[in-house]
Amino acid sequence: MRPEFYKTLLSPVWLAILLLAAVLPPLLPSYYLHIIILSLVYVALASAWNIVGGMAGQISLAHSLFIGVGAMFSSALLLKLGINMWLGLLISALISGVLGAVIAWIDFRFRLGHLSFVLITLAFAEMGTVVAEGWDFLGGASGLLLPRDTGNFLAFQFGGGIGAFWVMLVLAVASILINVAILNAPLGYYLRTIRDNENAARAIGVDILRYKVAAMVISAMLSSVIGTAYVRYLTFADPYLLVSPIIIIEIVLFATVGGLGRAYGPAFGALLLVPLGEILRGKLGGTLPGLHYFIYGVVVIAVILITPRGLLPLFETWWARWRRTGAVPK
Amino acid sequence: MLEIDHLVTGYNGVPVLHDVSIKLAAGEIVGLLGANNAGKTTLINSLSGMYAPISGRILFEGRDVTALTPRQRVELGIVQVPEGRLVFPEMSVRENLLLGGINSRARTHRSRQMDVVLDLFPRLRERLPQNAGTLSGGEQQMLAIGRALMAEAKLLMLDEPSLGLSPLFVQYIFEIIDRLHATGLSILLIEQNLNLTLRHAQRCYVLERGKIAVEGASDVIKDDPRTRRAYLGL
Amino acid sequence: MTEFLQAMAQGLLIGSTYGLLALGMGLVYGVSGVVNFSHGDFISLGMFLCLALYSALALDPYVSLIVTVPVMTIAGGLVYWYLIRPMVGHQFLMVVQLTLGLSLVLQNGILMVFGGQPARTPSVVESKLWILGDVVVRVPHVIAFVISFAMAIGLYIMLRSTDFGRSIRAVHQNAHAAALMGVDVGRVQTLTFALGIGILAIAAALLLPGTPIQPSQGLRYTVITLIVVALGGMTNFVGIMLGGLIIGLSEAYGTIYLSDTMGMLLPYGIFVLIMLFRPQGLTWSSAR
Repeated sequence: MRPEFYKTLLSPVWLAILLLAAVLPPLLPSYYLHIIILSLVYVALASAWNIVGGMAGQISLAHSLFIGVGAMFSSALLLKLGINMWLGLLISALISGVLGAVIAWIDFRFRLGHLSFVLITLAFAEMGTVVAEGWDFLGGASGLLLPRDTGNFLAFQFGGGIGAFWVMLVLAVASILINVAILNAPLGYYLRTIRDNENAARAIGVDILRYKVAAMVISAMLSSVIGTAYVRYLTFADPYLLVSPIIIIEIVLFATVGGLGRAYGPAFGALLLVPLGEILRGKLGGTLPGLHYFIYGVVVIAVILITPRGLLPLFETWWARWRRTGAVPK
Repeated sequence: MLEIDHLVTGYNGVPVLHDVSIKLAAGEIVGLLGANNAGKTTLINSLSGMYAPISGRILFEGRDVTALTPRQRVELGIVQVPEGRLVFPEMSVRENLLLGGINSRARTHRSRQMDVVLDLFPRLRERLPQNAGTLSGGEQQMLAIGRALMAEAKLLMLDEPSLGLSPLFVQYIFEIIDRLHATGLSILLIEQNLNLTLRHAQRCYVLERGKIAVEGASDVIKDDPRTRRAYLGL
Repeated sequence: MTEFLQAMAQGLLIGSTYGLLALGMGLVYGVSGVVNFSHGDFISLGMFLCLALYSALALDPYVSLIVTVPVMTIAGGLVYWYLIRPMVGHQFLMVVQLTLGLSLVLQNGILMVFGGQPARTPSVVESKLWILGDVVVRVPHVIAFVISFAMAIGLYIMLRSTDFGRSIRAVHQNAHAAALMGVDVGRVQTLTFALGIGILAIAAALLLPGTPIQPSQGLRYTVITLIVVALGGMTNFVGIMLGGLIIGLSEAYGTIYLSDTMGMLLPYGIFVLIMLFRPQGLTWSSAR
């Protein structure tokens, strides 16, 4: 592990965030707290996806499966079999890990091209949707309703509101730190080699299978854990939200617009676009149907045209200039 | 005919060519020599309009062409035979030649020009329906030159035409270059082969790390020790 | 047996149009390296334009083509020039996200104007049927088949025998060399994209008769087109048309013999099987 990792842990940025996090939430009205919690969920999910999509260069749409397993399966285990959700979280994570390993193996064994990998993972995601909506154990099309959140931590309950905020913050930070850790460890180096030129990597003897599987398993298990926490916050396990490809398409959008492959990139994307989406939906959702998504789409296009390299590189340029001249450039 | 005036060009703000000035009169063959990475290909691509210069001007037939697009330069008659031939592999010899003559000046008498080119390179006539990717290196070089001639070049720029060719073919290509010169075509020749270039070009420039190190008439500079030193990258 | 032949007829007929859709995408990819994820939403746009023209002027979809094709072709050119061209050289996935943003804009623009209820656009040929032996085929499907293949052949001829077609192939095979020969690469890319959108306008009219349309259908067409393009090895003409027929057939057999949801999965399944065992798709070479 390179020293950069330890330096990052101690940087003033994290301390500032922790401070803000301790002070801010009790002051906010619940609607804004909800938006922040949602943003943190997607920061966590997008950063988890980044391990596979950004670092390894594999655009996987199968992550809706992992999130779905984490959410639906652990809920079903609790409601149908009485299994404590902490245990359910673990079981779901393991299942997701296995699924991820299988998908990574398929990609390796059959030498899939990039577009094929995208479409095949999409096929898996669609199959997952069919299973989730058709299997009664998982609640079928009507989903599952979790017991009310009374703050019983041992029962995997956080008490809604502020409790959920802290949980999501921890998950978001952990997800980002895992990114930082991987980027500063041999795994990150191998993943980037594979991403940039798989044939060359193979030629110099890099064990492609091992690293692709490692990346996918870490990413899948992390996504599953976040899914379990997310469904607890929502209290209602809705397959149309949690298992459909829509969620992964959004995640890929956040990760890319923020800065693909960089540890903090996906966080930037999620922190901009999730609040934007929620606020647009809140203010305009009731009026003309489609208007809020229309505007959202226009904003996405504009952001990409303005910052084609991603939000993080833009921010870094501003930050560097501010530190040099003390003024924010136009 | 061609005048490059204090050209500074590079990528991402990093200059590769520093204050390069070159003149070429109509009907001349001028050679551009230098070791690898001296900036020869950057220079020729600048002439073709692939990079916007950091500073400096390019004048062609008295006109400032510095801001013109690659297409506009071909329309004026500045045509390049790129390094590595770069023929279109899945198009036939005939289609490659037709594509060469796609600019508006050349398009009007393309079939006549194709006859001229095929007379110059009879081997190509045999291979007309064949895909260019299946040709040998030497044949591809012929095709690349033929394709550029189809564009009705006034200034023909050749980037390393001898690269990867057998000595026999190299000799053949240079005979063709001489023949083209005899018709009055102005030629800018980039080559790694020092002696060949000095023999066929009237004047030469030697490029060293982006700067002109030596310039002059070939028979004068060929004995200049600076030439060999710059060329060998010492 | 009749059911089998019935499904085959329907699958082949629709599959030819899928192939046409994919040719448009393949051309654009070959020339500018862009995969347009709002492809299906442009089809949607074409369909809704036909609906609008029917509502306003009682035009049959096939007749509306006179308006929709030029309008969409020009729109395509403008979209490429102002939105996609500035992204040349940037990360592939970022361009994809831009087209996804465009997809949201198109889809919801249509929703705002037309509302979300499924709508039908009547056509004079809509309910006409042809009876060949035991098999009943719908005339709109036959028209779609004929025109799709005619256009595929037309595109092929255009690529082989015209200067524009040669410049498209040259840019695809070596954009740098094409530029050195005086080809305006940006212009070729813009025109190809516009051409692709124009093809979508035609395909929209072909697919429209008898089909209820709604704004959210775009993604489905995009995914089908992507699958067919991948099967065809991205740019191989014959491979793409063949892929279209295969997907058309799997869809037809899936919906007739399996339940609705499983039926929609059959094309995916067939696609996965083919790509796993033949990663280069339905092309001849072993290189990718």
